[in-house]
Amino acid sequence: MHGRKAYELVKEFSSGEKGHLNIFNNELFERVIEECNEHHNAFQSLIRKMQEEGLEVQTAKNADHYGALIHHISLIRNKRCLMAYVYNRAEIIRDLAWKVGLLHELPREIQEKFSDSEEHYFKDHSKSLKLYMSQLSLDVNVDMVPPKDPYIKVRVLEDLGSGIILSDKSANFARHSMHFLKRTDVEQYIARGLMEELTG
Amino acid sequence: MGSSAGEWSAEQIDDYETLISTTDVELLKKAWRNEKVSPEILPFEEALVKRAKEQIQLMEETVDDFVESGHDPLIASLYQMDLDRAQFLLRSYLRVRLQKIEKFMFYIWKTDTYRNRLSMEEEKFTERCIRDIGKHLEETVLSNLPDNYQSVLNQSVISEEDDMVPEPLLDTFVVAKCERTTRPLYLDGSRQSTGFDSRDDHFLMVPGDLCILRYRPFQEELMSGNISLV
Repeated sequence: MHGRKAYELVKEFSSGEKGHLNIFNNELFERVIEECNEHHNAFQSLIRKMQEEGLEVQTAKNADHYGALIHHISLIRNKRCLMAYVYNRAEIIRDLAWKVGLLHELPREIQEKFSDSEEHYFKDHSKSLKLYMSQLSLDVNVDMVPPKDPYIKVRVLEDLGSGIILSDKSANFARHSMHFLKRTDVEQYIARGLMEELTG
Repeated sequence: MGSSAGEWSAEQIDDYETLISTTDVELLKKAWRNEKVSPEILPFEEALVKRAKEQIQLMEETVDDFVESGHDPLIASLYQMDLDRAQFLLRSYLRVRLQKIEKFMFYIWKTDTYRNRLSMEEEKFTERCIRDIGKHLEETVLSNLPDNYQSVLNQSVISEEDDMVPEPLLDTFVVAKCERTTRPLYLDGSRQSTGFDSRDDHFLMVPGDLCILRYRPFQEELMSGNISLV
């Protein structure tokens, strides 16, 4: 049935959790592309048949004309589904670039879900954002929520040693240690799950 | 401005409010609010952003001096909070714009009105975004499709226009506050004619009005500053 596999692809995307990616469904994707090429071959043979019969392709409204039309419409529907799948996943990837901190390594569970091209896209987009920020010399991806307090209490979840650059002091960040730090410094670490904010 | 000690006259309050409403922080707040609510990208406030950056830098230096000289830490942290808030406004303003660009990059690029609303850095960013997503879509989808179907902007070469480009939804509802009396207009978008008009269903807002309305008919009023979005 025309378009069914493409429909499955889109449905798989939309039935996933909002903002989360499923693993890139290569198999289904390739099948839809195959279908597109089949449609195109069928389309071309129908057009050729009409031309051989000496009929004007645009105007002769016989069964072949409509058959070709249906193949064309199925093809563009498949194209729309494929583009929607890739484009919407790309949107989620861009959100990840904003949240997790540019060019930092994504956690493995997320990285596995990308296709190769998506990995490149993530890196490319991170670079574009970084370039913009350096041209303005202003970090646009910190301060994602309105500030209430300039300093917050955090607990370190992973052993970070002294490998963090803070704007006003340095400290040893062993696991489970608690610190009272500037919010803008630690936001990225919280987003990556390396620290957690202690409220209350 | 003689008034009893500790009380402000109506005149003083008016003056103060006029003064406050034109400070850069207020202007930045207004630009930020408009940008956040509007479905389309608005003109870039280049001068305002430049001034805001300079003032923030000045504040940062002041706060650093305070901290170093051991000045009253309470005052220092109050200045710090003020500084943080201003920085948040500026960053959020730029961020909202970038996210709109990411969403509508193709449409913005090919529509001159929108393209002219970008700053120079934003224009470069848009270009790169288009290049990146174009490359990604091409590798994954388009190069595998038959010849006439390989465009990223239209479905196939026989499409009459670029039908795969998402556009901002200008008919969404927004909440708008009136600053200056608007021109009367009909809610179906047509303008009032200069002659005497027998239609009396036109709509206008006076300062202080707060309305929920569709965005599209009021685009011009927003651009001219007669209304602002909330």
